[in-house]
Amino acid sequence: MPISGVVITCRTEATEKVLADLGQYQSLEIHGSDNKGNIVAVIESDTSEDMERLIDTINKHEDIFNVGMTYLNTEDEAEQMARGERLAKPFGFRKPLAPDPSDDTQ
Amino acid sequence: MTQSRRNFIKKAAALSAASYVSMNLPISMQDVAKADEGLVWHRGSCRLCGVGCRVELGVKNGKPMGLRGVPQSRTNFGYVCMKGMHFWKCMRHPDRLTKPLYRKSKKDKFKEISWDEALDIAATEFANAHKAGGGNAVAYYGSGQALTEETYFFQKVMRGGLQSNNVEGNPRLCMASAVGGYLTSFGADEPIGGYSDLEKAHCFFIIGSNTAEAHPVLFRRIMRRKLDNAADVKVINVDPRVSQTSRIADMHLQFKPGTDLSLLNGMANVIIEEKLYDEEFLKNYTTFKSGKDTVDFETYKAQVAQYTPVEVAKTCGGSFSAEDVKTVARWFAASRGTVTLWTMGLNQRKQGVWANNLVHNLHILTGQLLKDGADSLSLTGQPNACGGVREGGGLCHILPGHRPVANEKMRAQVEQAWGVPPGRIPPKPGLHTMAMFSAVNDAKIRAIWINCTSPVQSLPNCNLYNKGMDRDDVFIVTTDIFQTLTTQKSNLVLPTCFHFEKTGVYGCTERRSQITAKAIDAPGDAKPEVWIIREWAGRLAEKMNDPVIAQCIKPFEGLDESYELPKAIWDEYTQKLTAHRDNDLRGATYEVLEQMYDGVQWPAPTKDFALTGGTVKKFVKGRDPMADTESKDDLPYQFYGPAHADRKLWIWLRDQADPEEIPDSEYPFYLSTGRIIDHWHTMSMTGRVPELMRANPYAYVEINPKDAQRLGIKPGDMVELKSRRGVNVLPAKVYEGPVEGMVFAYWHDQHEDRMINKVTKDAIDPGSKEPEFKICAVQVKRVSGPKPLTPYIV
Repeated sequence: MPISGVVITCRTEATEKVLADLGQYQSLEIHGSDNKGNIVAVIESDTSEDMERLIDTINKHEDIFNVGMTYLNTEDEAEQMARGERLAKPFGFRKPLAPDPSDDTQ
Repeated sequence: MTQSRRNFIKKAAALSAASYVSMNLPISMQDVAKADEGLVWHRGSCRLCGVGCRVELGVKNGKPMGLRGVPQSRTNFGYVCMKGMHFWKCMRHPDRLTKPLYRKSKKDKFKEISWDEALDIAATEFANAHKAGGGNAVAYYGSGQALTEETYFFQKVMRGGLQSNNVEGNPRLCMASAVGGYLTSFGADEPIGGYSDLEKAHCFFIIGSNTAEAHPVLFRRIMRRKLDNAADVKVINVDPRVSQTSRIADMHLQFKPGTDLSLLNGMANVIIEEKLYDEEFLKNYTTFKSGKDTVDFETYKAQVAQYTPVEVAKTCGGSFSAEDVKTVARWFAASRGTVTLWTMGLNQRKQGVWANNLVHNLHILTGQLLKDGADSLSLTGQPNACGGVREGGGLCHILPGHRPVANEKMRAQVEQAWGVPPGRIPPKPGLHTMAMFSAVNDAKIRAIWINCTSPVQSLPNCNLYNKGMDRDDVFIVTTDIFQTLTTQKSNLVLPTCFHFEKTGVYGCTERRSQITAKAIDAPGDAKPEVWIIREWAGRLAEKMNDPVIAQCIKPFEGLDESYELPKAIWDEYTQKLTAHRDNDLRGATYEVLEQMYDGVQWPAPTKDFALTGGTVKKFVKGRDPMADTESKDDLPYQFYGPAHADRKLWIWLRDQADPEEIPDSEYPFYLSTGRIIDHWHTMSMTGRVPELMRANPYAYVEINPKDAQRLGIKPGDMVELKSRRGVNVLPAKVYEGPVEGMVFAYWHDQHEDRMINKVTKDAIDPGSKEPEFKICAVQVKRVSGPKPLTPYIV
């Protein structure tokens, strides 16, 4: 159950709306906000992939500039990987990059 | 993950994010365990450097747990540096000495023995040495890190008991020139002002000091003052090397090592030429001295006239201009308050006293003294060089209370205070440090007690003196908390209490005495020095059948060593030996000191005055009680110091003079040595703190990039530094720091390849007897590419 601390930066005038929209996400807990468009939140999800997907989704919100992660704890997952119960799949849901034609090491 | 840990992690995540955007979160701390629950905080001074930061040791169930600064302290205002933050880790370190160790020959292995046996051996050896050669055959070499009570008690037994003035300490290696400078220029030792001048200064003249690394918490105050008043406050840094301190300087003058005397004279010349001096102040308060003669202003003016800005710029090596000399002189003279700060760059020189005089000259000439924001502030290296050694009688030529040994009246005062027969204290000063260890080399000294210091590493040209310390016909007893290179050359090693494991007073740079109370027990059988001295002296008295030795310890018999014993020693020293002296500490009783967040600046003749903090500015009527009681006329400043009968400040005519050993065709580079922020002295303490070792695991040699290129030296290459005395092999740090033609190495490393004092020269200042650690001549040669190195601690 990974836990992360994030700073979500949004358009200052849309802060209220963004806070309301963020309320729909069960995995996200809002801890504070200021009048400069900064929102401090904690995300707790079942898997790392879920967390990535959620952050990716939030990033696409039209009033949100950026989700900046400042803290990430994945000790549960690490234990599961050590026990062989899970496989690590960072950025697993993104398509792989196309090979670079000018790179002759590939 | 348990639920409470999960909550903790989530709070940590939220706080981490909030800190990035400076957001305060309303997080309830109700169900959070606090780290400092059950901790008792004990106040004291930091164990290291001469700033005198006040700290509190957190203790839980008798175990030291952490350290914090004291915000109300007028020395550090709550700040500590990384050495101060970590030194408490020495308290429960597994390497702590816990039992007395003995071996008859230095070639044997040490055996653990009991305290009874150990004290008996120490007494027997000293008694035998004394029988064979009298007071000349025994010696005590102490430390500016010993508590005042320890230094005072040791020297009492040596002088009053063993009738030996062979009492010295490592401040001879760092502060003796400053003492000489203050005494000859002001008539009294130690600064007139103090740290409170920093926040009022408008010009900082930092010469021969890397304050940023050697006195970091004071540097913070200077830096803050400059940064908050960038346009109004000027910082001048004078150093052949670009250091961390140079980074805030408006003007950095890099002079050829040893030529700073001409720069200081040059500044005086400009000040006189441009009429920037304080004529009134000179008229009322100044005498001009040249050698043994009293001269006048015109003679002084003529002497400094030779040091024209053009000449000075040339003498100093050409890296700054004649105009720079004028600018610096004008800033110094015309500012609303100039504070000069210096330490080893001026003191550890063959011309150390002269360099100090020349700094004081500038302050006297311009009247930049005695008012807030103006002072010539010598920075003390060690936490108790002032309080214990300079004030408590810890050098071969001075008795407690700033009394010269050679003065019969002064000896008589001390003899009377001690209740020992007149004539008991020998009339001649003992051997100064370098002479003392030369005498060990020749076995003229047969028994020496080395306390809380490691001369095997810290003496200049150390190989020479290490030979003597290896002799089996010289008995060496050391008191320390860890094995050091010096305990390794002893016959008897006695385990002592560390800071906070015993009670006592430290006196820092600004005449401020501060108390550290015992907070935890020492490990194993380690004992406080004051107990060791008393027990040893008692046995000495028996073996030598000498009731006078017994008299020396009589007031202290039967007292508990944790508190009552040091208190009684402090009371005797302050009430009897400092009464009516210029370092009057009668008001600074333990009771008063314990009430202070910080401590008491002398003179402080009464408890009421001491409770306010004592004398901020010496010699000023209305601010210094002794300026009032010792007043001889209507003038506002009274220079009542013991060394100037005419009660004036003295401007000394001092010419440029070369260091003892300057580069030549055979040894073409200057070598300078110094300190870095992460380590302290011989690293027996800081070398055992993992955080500090990670920051700086071993010594390197700083080489100017132009020199490195010429010599084919790349960063990390192994380089040989060789002098006429010894060799070091160090990794190269190619860095714009040292001026071209000079290399720099720090002296903390214990490893035989990186112990730079093998290379330094033991030339001394003829007045202060302080060695010229700062300048000697070396060859610099690339040996190989980078090699893996391991840090080394005995």
